Amino acid sequence: MAAQLDDAVGKAAPRTGKGGGPPGRRTPRPPEHGAVRPPAGRTPRSAAPGSSARRTPYLLLLPALLATAVLLGWPMVRNLLLSFQNLNMKELIQHLTDWRGTGNYQEILGSEQFWRVTLRTLVFTAVNVVLIMVLGVLIGLLLARLGKKMRLTLSLALVLAWAMPVIAATTVFQWLFDSRYGVVNWLLDQAGWHAMAHYDWVGTQLSTFSVITVLIVWQSLPFVALNLYAATTTIPRELYEAARMDGAGTWQVFTSVTFPFLKPFFLATTFLEIIWVFKAFPQIFAINEGGPDRLTETLPIYAFTEGVGNLHFGMGAAISLLTIVVLLAMTAHYLRLTLRQERHEENEL
Amino acid sequence: MKRAVSATAGRLWPNATALVLAAGFVFPVYWMFSTAFKPTRDIITDEPVWFPFHGTAEHFATAVRAPHFWTLAGNSVLVTVLAVGLSLVIALCAAFALTRMRFRGRRGILLTFMIAQMAPWEVMVISIYMIVRDADLLNSLAPLTCFYMLMVLPFTLLTLRGYVAAVPRELEESAMVDGCSRRQAFLKVVFPLLAPGLMATSLFGFITAWNEFPLVLVLNKEPAMGTLPLWLSQFQSQFGDDWGATMAAASIFAVPILILFLFLQRKAVGGLTSGAVKG
Amino acid sequence: MKRGLMAATAAAGMLVSVAACGSGDGGTAGADGFKGQKLTVWVMSGSNPAQWTKQVSEQFEKKTGATVEFKVQQWNGIQQKLSTALSEDSPPDVVEIGNTQTAAYAEAGALADLGDLKKEIGADWNDAFNKASLVDGKQYALPWYAGNRVVMYNKKIWRQAGLKGTPTTRTELFKAFDTIKKKTDAEPLYLPGQNWYFFDGLTIGTGADLVKKQGGKWVSNLGDPKVAKAMDIYRQYQAFSTAPKNKDEATPQQAEVFAKGRTGAVIAMGYEAATAVKADPGIKKDIGFFTIPGETADKPEGVFLGGSNFAVAGMGKKQELAKEFLKVALSKQNDGQMVKESGWTPKSADLAGAARQNPAAAAAAPAAEKSGGTTPLIPQWAAVENVPNPIKSYMTAVLGGKSPADAARDIAPEINARLAKQ
Repeated sequence: MAAQLDDAVGKAAPRTGKGGGPPGRRTPRPPEHGAVRPPAGRTPRSAAPGSSARRTPYLLLLPALLATAVLLGWPMVRNLLLSFQNLNMKELIQHLTDWRGTGNYQEILGSEQFWRVTLRTLVFTAVNVVLIMVLGVLIGLLLARLGKKMRLTLSLALVLAWAMPVIAATTVFQWLFDSRYGVVNWLLDQAGWHAMAHYDWVGTQLSTFSVITVLIVWQSLPFVALNLYAATTTIPRELYEAARMDGAGTWQVFTSVTFPFLKPFFLATTFLEIIWVFKAFPQIFAINEGGPDRLTETLPIYAFTEGVGNLHFGMGAAISLLTIVVLLAMTAHYLRLTLRQERHEENEL
Repeated sequence: MKRAVSATAGRLWPNATALVLAAGFVFPVYWMFSTAFKPTRDIITDEPVWFPFHGTAEHFATAVRAPHFWTLAGNSVLVTVLAVGLSLVIALCAAFALTRMRFRGRRGILLTFMIAQMAPWEVMVISIYMIVRDADLLNSLAPLTCFYMLMVLPFTLLTLRGYVAAVPRELEESAMVDGCSRRQAFLKVVFPLLAPGLMATSLFGFITAWNEFPLVLVLNKEPAMGTLPLWLSQFQSQFGDDWGATMAAASIFAVPILILFLFLQRKAVGGLTSGAVKG
Repeated sequence: MKRGLMAATAAAGMLVSVAACGSGDGGTAGADGFKGQKLTVWVMSGSNPAQWTKQVSEQFEKKTGATVEFKVQQWNGIQQKLSTALSEDSPPDVVEIGNTQTAAYAEAGALADLGDLKKEIGADWNDAFNKASLVDGKQYALPWYAGNRVVMYNKKIWRQAGLKGTPTTRTELFKAFDTIKKKTDAEPLYLPGQNWYFFDGLTIGTGADLVKKQGGKWVSNLGDPKVAKAMDIYRQYQAFSTAPKNKDEATPQQAEVFAKGRTGAVIAMGYEAATAVKADPGIKKDIGFFTIPGETADKPEGVFLGGSNFAVAGMGKKQELAKEFLKVALSKQNDGQMVKESGWTPKSADLAGAARQNPAAAAAAPAAEKSGGTTPLIPQWAAVENVPNPIKSYMTAVLGGKSPADAARDIAPEINARLAKQ
């Protein structure tokens, strides 16, 4: 793993936005790009019209776009239509279409429950993502610091945790935190904290969320840590040496060298983690089904309970669309950054 | 002398931390496997039984003897491998276009895929069900494969984009100087360097498709057309959760992924030509 | 999704009725018309015992020339699975639907009318069993099995406590629990806070209704003092247990806790004995059953008759064949087999003999007969029991110290919301 990670290297980090590229990696481009190329090669940017050259990108993208349109676009459109319908068991079984206009949306947006759940989801996502990113970075840096053998050991442990099927992991955690027979309570009791001997972890909102957070963070950390480690190996030694020669301490090295270099990595990973944590479902549902008293329901759970669980599919569809809106709002900043970066990239081609 | 001591001390705390962390990360996985081997009376105990001294294989037998297990396992493997394979090919083509080529609509297309990453699959189940039902394609592995492929596509594409972008154009260019066509340059030079990226994304894709439950529950009700998650859910029934069997089933369920990871990582290490990259 | 339905209505067959079964009479013209066809029957995991399945299949095949395929379904996600299946062009021909869900499916137009069939084969069935299959007086399903809870107790611990015989009133029962607490170190009763079907039984015992009609709509009636009284009785039971107040009887499996041999009793369904024995075969000889005692010796405690019905898919293409199947599956002989093999409660008086052969069924029968009831039989009720079940929250709240009136008031909006949706 280590060897492959060493080489995977900045491959994890998108090439964009490296602050001051290392001398050896990018040869400065000659102004007339076309002149360097031998006549034998095909140059997309050269004057050669080749309609095939213009078509190539679209051809390459066609399968992906087609698949997305059919397999995602169409269900989404259908979902949108459903959200304006009253689709319950009866309509489903009898194939009826019962239009309701914006009734579903009015009901949801007017319900206090929806707004409370949304706020709760935002806070929950923020807390988890911060924990995952901070701890993930720390562990990633730790990996960089270790000798080969220890690194391999820790990497292996991380991968085992990451690869464990979510359903299985959730079940194990339920078991570990069981109030009467769980290992966690037993350990706490042995350590002297007797009040925790039969503590009911799913009894209150906060404790239930704690268990869920531990589960999600535990399973998400490996991805961040391993990728961060891989990314740090791309940073050329020269930068570190230069920084140290200027007298920088560990923290300053991090802020002046590591962080800027890996900014694209941080952005990309945070984006993904926000989405994954936001959409997390089995972890929350299996621990206490969104309880106690529906207090640990996040938007996806809420959508499921209101929609699929109660067989009110129209309502569920409406909530799911609102969920996407919320998620878009949360990730808007990163989307904008990425698109701006894209423009740079495109211009450099 | 002093330097040697501090050097050792300097190695001590990272190693100690690493050990503690490793133990912490591995523990739930260990617990799953060890519970799978414990007899029922050792599972619900006041004091945890740390090691299955009275190990038994009965739970594994229960898990495997469940109806249609082997058929479902075969289905899972087939659907997952196809879905992941397809998504890799499609995503790679698209990633290449998105990083190396300039064309109109490039940013819009990228945005599309980033939004696709946010799709709320659990709640779209009913729309998908209605579409598949009305197209008369229920109880078939094909729609399942297609949808799993798409569940994985955005992430695969976005990740591979990063990996492709990280490969310097100079490599392609020098290959073309040496007489390769663009396609050949891609296959011979760029592709091997993507190995780690392909590994990461295929592992992720495998895990996603392997675990999926809500869609297969309603699309493939024919017992022989289901997948393993359906099999796994049966050990938590109204007779109560058979924890031993659940853990045994979960262990069996987890093993292919772990094997896949070990296999992939060895392949990825082999395919690297570090010299050309680091330059 | 842990449901307590499992009422085995077993008609103690093994009686004369064999004759009625076998002959292809009843003017089923075209018994040859069915030859070679295959009927699909969905049953829930654990519902169909082995011998019963064998008998029914053989008899059905002999009678009609068609074969029957039993497809066993898992509980997880069954609502979604069943709803979508019934909407398809070729739905399963016969499906098992729980008591609490039948009305909802009937209302949705998924099930065929079985009124004539009931008259033909079920004239003497106990009304309590049949209620769940009726919507607006029309018969949309036929009861298959039903059962109710009993006290499953550990004979060894009761002996240790010096108790002789079994209690016949609630006061005697509580005294027995007290004695166990004093004289042994066992837990007298393992009762978690959310054994909702036991609570439902108690509301049946106090004559409370869980819903009421208000201005043309169904709303929660948990604020009713009779409900509070039932909850108070539950609280008294629960006081004898250290089980968690916010878990139900399946998390962890109460039978497995019982199997450890340090629990005096659990309120359980008959089949839970098998679960206990599986966890520890040694416990088998110590398991005993008795009827949950009520306030007085002549009327047992109210019990919820949980069970399943057989329904015919309304869009199915083989409805005649399906009805033939039901005639076989619900014959006296086969109903009796259900009682004998699985310990379900007899559906009609003439099956009492079969019940006597199964101790759990024998303990359950008196309660079913005298104090059996069901959850509100309105189509909207099914939604209330969906996860997360608000009544379980109510129970935990009251056990945690909240006044029943307050707890009822707090949970009413959630229940009303679910009742309001069709």
